[in-house]
Amino acid sequence: MKRRNFLKTGCAAWVLSQQPYALAKVLEPVNAPNHKKLVWVVLRGAMDSLHAVVPVFDPYLNQHRASLVTPIAENLLPLERGFGLHPALKYLHNWYQQKQMMPVVAVASGYRQRSHFDAQDYLESGLPQIDQDNGWLGRAMQQKNQQGIAIARSVPVSMRGNQLSNTWFPSNLPDAEEDLYRALMQMYQPYPEFAERLNQGMMTRGSVEMDKAKTRNPKFELLAKNCGELLAHSVNTSCAMLEMGGWDTHNGQIWRLDKQFSQLDAGLNQLKLALAEKWRDTIVIVATEFGRTVKVNGTDGTDHGTASALFLAGGALNGGKVLGDWPGLAPENLYQNRDLKPTSAINSWLATVLHQHWQLNTQQVRAVFPDATIRSEQLLL
Amino acid sequence: MYNTEIALNRFGYGALQNQLNTLQSDPKKWLLNQLKPMQFTQVEWTSIQAIHTLAEFQLAKEADKKNAASQADNNAMQAGELSSDKIRKKINQAAKQTTLASLQQIITQPESFQSRLLDFFSNHFSVSANNIITKALAPTLEREAIAPNLVGQFSDLLLAVIMHPAMLVYLNNEKSIGPDSKVGKKRSEKGLNENLAREILELHTLGVNAGYSQQDVRELAMAITGWTVTHPYKDKTEHIGFIYKDQHHQPGARFILGKSYPQVKLEQGKQILIDLAEHPATAKHISFKLARHFIADEPDPALVSAMSQSWIQSKGNLAFVLTAMIEHPASWQPKLQKLKTPRDFVISACRACNQTGTQKPDSFETLKILGQMPFSAGSPAGFGDTAAFWNGSEALLAKIEWADRFSRLLKNESLELIKQTLGRQLSANSEKLINQAESKQQAIALFLMSPEFQLR
Repeated sequence: MKRRNFLKTGCAAWVLSQQPYALAKVLEPVNAPNHKKLVWVVLRGAMDSLHAVVPVFDPYLNQHRASLVTPIAENLLPLERGFGLHPALKYLHNWYQQKQMMPVVAVASGYRQRSHFDAQDYLESGLPQIDQDNGWLGRAMQQKNQQGIAIARSVPVSMRGNQLSNTWFPSNLPDAEEDLYRALMQMYQPYPEFAERLNQGMMTRGSVEMDKAKTRNPKFELLAKNCGELLAHSVNTSCAMLEMGGWDTHNGQIWRLDKQFSQLDAGLNQLKLALAEKWRDTIVIVATEFGRTVKVNGTDGTDHGTASALFLAGGALNGGKVLGDWPGLAPENLYQNRDLKPTSAINSWLATVLHQHWQLNTQQVRAVFPDATIRSEQLLL
Repeated sequence: MYNTEIALNRFGYGALQNQLNTLQSDPKKWLLNQLKPMQFTQVEWTSIQAIHTLAEFQLAKEADKKNAASQADNNAMQAGELSSDKIRKKINQAAKQTTLASLQQIITQPESFQSRLLDFFSNHFSVSANNIITKALAPTLEREAIAPNLVGQFSDLLLAVIMHPAMLVYLNNEKSIGPDSKVGKKRSEKGLNENLAREILELHTLGVNAGYSQQDVRELAMAITGWTVTHPYKDKTEHIGFIYKDQHHQPGARFILGKSYPQVKLEQGKQILIDLAEHPATAKHISFKLARHFIADEPDPALVSAMSQSWIQSKGNLAFVLTAMIEHPASWQPKLQKLKTPRDFVISACRACNQTGTQKPDSFETLKILGQMPFSAGSPAGFGDTAAFWNGSEALLAKIEWADRFSRLLKNESLELIKQTLGRQLSANSEKLINQAESKQQAIALFLMSPEFQLR
């Protein structure tokens, strides 16, 4: 018997007889299934927001980066307030027109240095001090007592710090024999961490029917599709996390971002298609660790900056707008004479989504983001 | 108490079969004897070959383009492969073969503490093969710059790495041009790229939050303008590889971390890097990383402090620092406290089972499946080095699937010899279950997936 059958027929019963403590966790009644789904997408490497949500109206834009703007200027997709969306973000623009997408410009986390890795940890942990073992989504899940899944091999910082986070990633290897899992369960008894991971993994794989991915280096598009399937089929899983790299465009930014945005756009569309009618109850948040320099650098790219943009999307969204105050690109308005100046905190938008979408009350939101305030904007329908 | 096992499994990549019995009676001495430069037995592909082939690739691509334009009408392209595609294949193959050869030597080499040091610094100075150029160059960095400088002065290692074409290209320094240099003044669209300078400060030397400023990043970036790579056709020189181009170099003195560096061409940047290599923040940063890599995710502060003191005393002599680690009692705690990365797991499994990692899926493919394909960390910070990066449920299942498959491919391997590679570290509980397995194949898979083999 292969693992999949084992999982379907025997796993729960077997776990029951062998591992009461592990089962207790599995059967522990989560709150009434939460139909409100949340998808958190982290763009690693610092996405250049000025290349995504282009402030064409800003008189200083061309002075700083004409060579980056000119090639896309004619094909920008119109947004309100005079912004233009990168031409490759077609689905996002479509959703925008259906009021299911809205960018938030000039946002940043509280982090003000320029290290990718610290900035990502800061964004993901969501605390005034980086805690790599404690993520904002992990705390939100705890407040709501809801399970979540990261499309990754190991739990990313965002979802750490609770026992409700699970991981899934496509594997190209054939399943092992059932008996091996059985023996390993027994072997892992004295090592709860191993036992728990094994249990979790088997539960996840058993909970949905999914063809194994055919590629060993899956693209974002495939991962997003699988993510949507996992969320759509599992009542107990109310949030998921996706990651996409490749945004650190120190050179060749025009063609690199064209490719990146196409992939992001196609992936988010796959996510929507896989979620099917669940899309209605879904909010997707796309964020990056920081922005990039306003000025083009010496190698047709941009260097590490400060403020960037967020994308909110989903059937539950009251979109079709561009949010966030615009700080302007006049030299005197730049942060440290080089970067887009942040006008709002990413955490405040995340807190607002948790409040409006997951109905976390003020106290619960404070437990997730000790230093964020809930905003007054009505983000949801 | 378990010192032989600890030397082999914690400091090294795990025992080869019979290695535990034949190891010299003094495990510390076995480790100390490995503190010498590493030599690769096979030279598969060098950065010089890579640069030549890349230049050929570029020419072929231009020729293909011209051909396509002139022959668009008469359909002459049906003959199939473009000449640039052939060269691309050659590069991909050479890069993969070189990586496999490196892995194979690491799997079979008895001195596995030395090869883990190589792996540590290869990850410390991580380069990602994210395009054809970095793909061609990435596997040459550890062979050419790291292995020969493995345990000498850290400044020598740092200079060798930063001046290597793989690093210069990966972090975009090859095109970084001083705004007031001869070329910079003539061509205003060309200019500074601060990528490499930032990562030198943040990742390679001082460490993040070590008190340097954005201004220091810029100053260092200026200091290393002109550090670039020769182009075999465009540059009129016989020499292939690193070159200092004065016409790209930002003139004037640089001021970094409170110290002034007068303009002396290449020497300016070199002197800054030497000072950075000997800086106390660098001592602390890399001592911590070494202790975390070899001993524990949260290493004993006393151990880190002993190592960084040795660093400061010896101006960054790595053999001296590593000796402090080997001599420290905190390094020899019997408790297994460190989860192997997929790379360490696969290499140690091959060693224990007397395999070279060439069976399908070979070690390269396996690491791809397990999420740690060589030169694909995707960020200059390299792969994560703590359990949190590798202990996901999905990661565990993938390892089980691999162990199941791997153990099926073994022919006539002795279970006893495989089990002995863990020595006294294999627990009674695990051993009992291994012995109860329904087949030898399953017993081996269980052994590889036992907590004692997964941890070190």
